[in-house]
Amino acid sequence: MLLAQVAVERGFWSEAPNSPALWTKLSICLIIGLAVMVGLMFVPVRARRPIIGMCTFIAGLYWVLLYVWPKPIDRQPDEAPLNAVEGVAIWLEESNKFVVSFTQILTALLLGLGIFSLLTIHLGKIRRRHPDALFSGVLLASMLLMITFGYWDYNQRQGEAGALLDNPANWTFVQYSRDFLFQGFLQEMDAAMFSIIAFYILSAAYRAFRLRSVEATILLAAALLVLVSLMGAVSSAWDTQVRAIANGNPFVLNFQLSEISMWIRNTFQTSSIRGIQFGVGIGALAMGLRIWLGLERTGGQD
Amino acid sequence: MPGLGAKLQAMPKQIIYLVLITVTTIPLFFDVAVPNEPLEATQDYYATLEQLPEGSRVLMASDWTGSTRGESKGAFRSTLNILIRRKAKIAFYSTADPQAPRVAQDAINELNAERRRANLPEFKRWEDWISLGYFPDSEAANNGIANDLQGAFSGRKDFPPGAPPRDVFQSPVLEGITKVGQIPLLLIVTASKTSNFTVERIKPDRKTGYPKLLFAVTGVMVPETQVFYQSKQIAGYCGGLKGVYDLEQLMENGINFPSKKEAVVKSDKYDVVPGYPSPSNKGQGTRYYPTLHFALALMILLVIVGNIGMALSKREARS
Repeated sequence: MLLAQVAVERGFWSEAPNSPALWTKLSICLIIGLAVMVGLMFVPVRARRPIIGMCTFIAGLYWVLLYVWPKPIDRQPDEAPLNAVEGVAIWLEESNKFVVSFTQILTALLLGLGIFSLLTIHLGKIRRRHPDALFSGVLLASMLLMITFGYWDYNQRQGEAGALLDNPANWTFVQYSRDFLFQGFLQEMDAAMFSIIAFYILSAAYRAFRLRSVEATILLAAALLVLVSLMGAVSSAWDTQVRAIANGNPFVLNFQLSEISMWIRNTFQTSSIRGIQFGVGIGALAMGLRIWLGLERTGGQD
Repeated sequence: MPGLGAKLQAMPKQIIYLVLITVTTIPLFFDVAVPNEPLEATQDYYATLEQLPEGSRVLMASDWTGSTRGESKGAFRSTLNILIRRKAKIAFYSTADPQAPRVAQDAINELNAERRRANLPEFKRWEDWISLGYFPDSEAANNGIANDLQGAFSGRKDFPPGAPPRDVFQSPVLEGITKVGQIPLLLIVTASKTSNFTVERIKPDRKTGYPKLLFAVTGVMVPETQVFYQSKQIAGYCGGLKGVYDLEQLMENGINFPSKKEAVVKSDKYDVVPGYPSPSNKGQGTRYYPTLHFALALMILLVIVGNIGMALSKREARS
């Protein structure tokens, strides 16, 4: 049983799908966006840094305020702010969905930038008759095919029969083609590429893992113990023997492979990773502050 | 003429590759039952899923694609089977890869095809699950979910049966949900850092303690996930292929089930967490674990051979 249609709140940020108002706003935004981009290209080099710095500061300021600004506790949706501090907190909270949507759109534009970059490089190779032009052609043809069948399938799913297309019994040529390209080709090649790593890991372990020093010996011993503990047949057999010998003695039970491996993980591994993550976190914070406050001098010179 | 030590250290890589292909392929043709003791983290993962109230709403981030399907697909399928048994209503979303939502939907369709063949009720789109799609910025998406769930998912649509796409908040899955603290479980099947972003951004509600966090991660992510598990920021995790095998064994045997005395998997942490013996529990974990087993054995063997070679070379040089 379907639920009753819930009225969607319309406002400056939300227009009905395919409505003239939506298309007008989209067109205006596109024109303004293009004008800003073109305008930025003609801005003197020295003026670019302050513009970028200001945009970065405003963008970062929102998240900093959202994190540090005191929030009213247990506020109900229809409750009015008690003072200016609460007013700012509520404004920050209510702006969140727009800021998040804007961030998502901005990040999604990077996909478009990726496609643009891919097209520029590979069309250039084909035009220059580069020795690898054939591969570029295959790549672009594959991309075109995937986009065509992906959107064709997507469009067919927008109608009333959308959910029915989840069942292969209702598929047409379009869904079979999309599935053949996506699951049959792309996902299989993705899996194959990743599987190749096994060969490199094995070859590298054989050639590089040598007991050349005390440190290497400790590292190798720890790695072997953890590896063996992942081999159920070996670790189960060993642990069963240890339990039989221990006869409830807690000290002897420590020699179970599962116990040793967990001790290595919980004592050495997690503490090392925590240390590394603390270091990375502090570094990221310092770098974030430098970028946010416009102190970072590298990049953006021309 | 190189000595034995040098020979042992310089085995041709073609032979190593051939042996690897052989030892990893042969087990796939046989039904090998490898003895196993499920890890505590996987037991907690299974117990948290089993203790989920029936009909609960679940947020599930599906952040895996074909590259890690050897591990991730098994975890995804087994977890879904448990959640379907708990009659959970699941909202899927992806923040790692644009391919991920399609991969998840194809895996659900595959599961439904199997359920149709077994005369089991389907896992119905819109009624039981919805797809919220892809969010390109994982950090922003998690911030949105934590601060304003309705805002984060606003404008997303899915397909009710026989009707055009509608707003996801009209579906039984998200109906009445306004904040993440109303959702008992947030589960991530991931092969990337999206689990880190989630644990950094999403905190349990002070009153309800929801959402509990569960991660199903790839083998290489186990060390970093163990950090969150050890500090109790996540309720449990299913790590790598071993985790998937553990999970399938737990689905079959339960914990302290049927009683602590007769149980295959025993734990002092839980009373009885039921298992549901069925041939369908044997999934990807059971099929692939022997392969992992032999690959690890081969790696250990080669490391030992290389080191013996080095020791022999040193002795030959001295003499």
